[in-house]
Amino acid sequence: MLKIQNLTVRYRREGHPVLYHLGLSAAAGECVALVGPSGSGKTTLLRSINASVAIESGEVWVGDVEVSSAHGAALRKIRSRIAFIAQKHDLVDRLKAYQNVMAGALGRWSTAHALRFLVWPQASELEEAREALESVGLAQKLKSRTTELSGGEQQRVAIARALVQHPLVILADEPIASLDPDTAAQVLELLCNLARNRAITLICSLHQPDLAQRYFHRMLRIRNGQAVPVPTASARARRAAAVTC
Amino acid sequence: MLILDRISGFFHFIAQFFPPDLSRHYLSFLFAVNGDGPIVQSLSIALSGVFLAVLIALPLSIVIGARMPGWRLLYAALAVVRSIPDLTLAIFCVILVGLGPGAGMITLIIYYAVAMAKVFGEIFLSADPRPLDALRSTGASRISLAAFGLIPLKLSDVLSYGIYELESAIRASVIVGAVGAGGIGAELVGSLNNFDYHRVTTLILALVLLIVLVDRFCWLVRRHPVALAALPPAGIASLVYCWPQLFAMRHSIETFSKMLPPHLKPMQVRELPALILQTLGMAAGGTLCAALIALIAAPAASRGIAPAFLVQLTRRLQDFARAIPEVVWGLLLVTFVGVGPWAGGAALALHSSGVLGKLFAESLENVPPDPVRALEATGASRVAVAAFGNFPLAAGPIAVHTLFRFEWNVRAATVLGIIGAGGIGQALYESQQLFFYHEVLAYLLVTCAIVGLFDFASTNLRKRYRVSWEAVE
Repeated sequence: MLKIQNLTVRYRREGHPVLYHLGLSAAAGECVALVGPSGSGKTTLLRSINASVAIESGEVWVGDVEVSSAHGAALRKIRSRIAFIAQKHDLVDRLKAYQNVMAGALGRWSTAHALRFLVWPQASELEEAREALESVGLAQKLKSRTTELSGGEQQRVAIARALVQHPLVILADEPIASLDPDTAAQVLELLCNLARNRAITLICSLHQPDLAQRYFHRMLRIRNGQAVPVPTASARARRAAAVTC
Repeated sequence: MLILDRISGFFHFIAQFFPPDLSRHYLSFLFAVNGDGPIVQSLSIALSGVFLAVLIALPLSIVIGARMPGWRLLYAALAVVRSIPDLTLAIFCVILVGLGPGAGMITLIIYYAVAMAKVFGEIFLSADPRPLDALRSTGASRISLAAFGLIPLKLSDVLSYGIYELESAIRASVIVGAVGAGGIGAELVGSLNNFDYHRVTTLILALVLLIVLVDRFCWLVRRHPVALAALPPAGIASLVYCWPQLFAMRHSIETFSKMLPPHLKPMQVRELPALILQTLGMAAGGTLCAALIALIAAPAASRGIAPAFLVQLTRRLQDFARAIPEVVWGLLLVTFVGVGPWAGGAALALHSSGVLGKLFAESLENVPPDPVRALEATGASRVAVAAFGNFPLAAGPIAVHTLFRFEWNVRAATVLGIIGAGGIGQALYESQQLFFYHEVLAYLLVTCAIVGLFDFASTNLRKRYRVSWEAVE
């Protein structure tokens, strides 16, 4: 569902490229972990997939849409199907949990619809938010203020928001970096299960190779601007399993 | 039909203001350097006022900052005098030293000396105690403590607040003219009373020009503080220029003693609550309308939400609304809407909508970027991102700015009455026109009480709010 060809990104003209002729493809329901040190280009890769980083050359395809050449309304439309989960701070802390969750629907709602929802949410919309929160195990926090949630709960609200986008791809940029180890493992497991069960491609950057090995189908490392596989026995086995299901 | 009549009446009224009177005769009067040129008068009122105010404020603030004996008493006294609004003070000075720029200058000296002494004092009090303790341990006297410790430590803060006050003084020098203290303000009132609307437009243009010039100068001083050296000679020259021609100390003291004791007739005492309510209503209504206008305009004035041309357009409109002081808006609106609190409320709304619009737009721009970026990544439209991200994230600062503005508008509402916009100020002005000085003093004290009360309440509220605000962060 995600296909990247010859992707080159540099931040300064004539500068050293962060990504250089990078190729990557991932199937629906496949979970790919990006590991490696900070500054190796993991975030840049994630951000160039949803076109929030300007790319120099190459193509990024999500489904049958070329993100790298889309503009304006077409870009907004495809971005609404690419969910992004950041390390932290990406919820609006003055909104309630259900409002943050349904922000995931902003891409398919009209502006008038969005404004109406803020002051007058309908039962069906609240139900959709509740379902999304239920699938991350937080149904009871529907109307909580975001500031009252713990770090792990906030990250799960962000995942629920991603689900409301009906995404083809979820990009997660170090989603567990600010969580304690137990919560981190739970959040990763949740994320990978959701991706597998709903046939969503998951690309997730991580600092912990052991966790990556435990939950993901395969691991990649960015070296010299290219995505290089980090093979492990169990990863290979899981990948085979994913292809069959 | 009535509404259509109203609308056409409004445009007819506006049309009367154009074109501005740009005849050579009038311009040469406006810009005259010696004699009664209103522009030079306003400028010299501001310059001499601020110059002398700084000379008075610095020693007083050092008394406070170095915690010399009696500093608490001095600080309390400053806070009391500070609660007299500028135009009310101007009426007093006109009574005491007679009409003309001299009264304007003395108003500004008192007003800004008190304001700067208080704020400079607060700045000095906030100085880092460690270097001061080190100095004190050398056995330095309090004066040398100030010279070697306080002033060098806090010079840049003092300077930037002083420059801010100079900007505000140029507006004040115009509005004190509205009660006969000379300058553009006096000329504006005269032209309005003569229905000479073309000249009113010229004067407003001159006012905006003057404000822009002083803004430019202050900008220059911020970059090159050396430019400050131009101020003392300009201040002294202005002082000579503005010196009241018929000033007699004995006469002033006699006039002041005639005001004692403050007294109101029983009927006036009964009317007092209604007057106070009218003033507060003006402030509340004006602030509310301004906040609504500003809320609608703010997204259009924020980079990142609106396209660049719209941002520029909205910001220039806001600059214009802001450049014209409440009192000048009030003078214009009184001629259109008629005497009464509606004109006052509308004047407050117009000026404040410019101020709040700018502040709200800055608040919307200064929200944490990550949540906004996350919303953008969902493919949401700009308006939806603003509604789900920028507005909720900026809700705290927006509320604080509105609260601040309400306090400011209470102060402004008390003086708007003086130009015919109802409330306590109008009662004060009418008593002054009839030479009932006991009543003037009584109304002044009531004004001080209102302003002081709101000042106190909002200071406390702000302290409490800031605590809860940080707790949320």
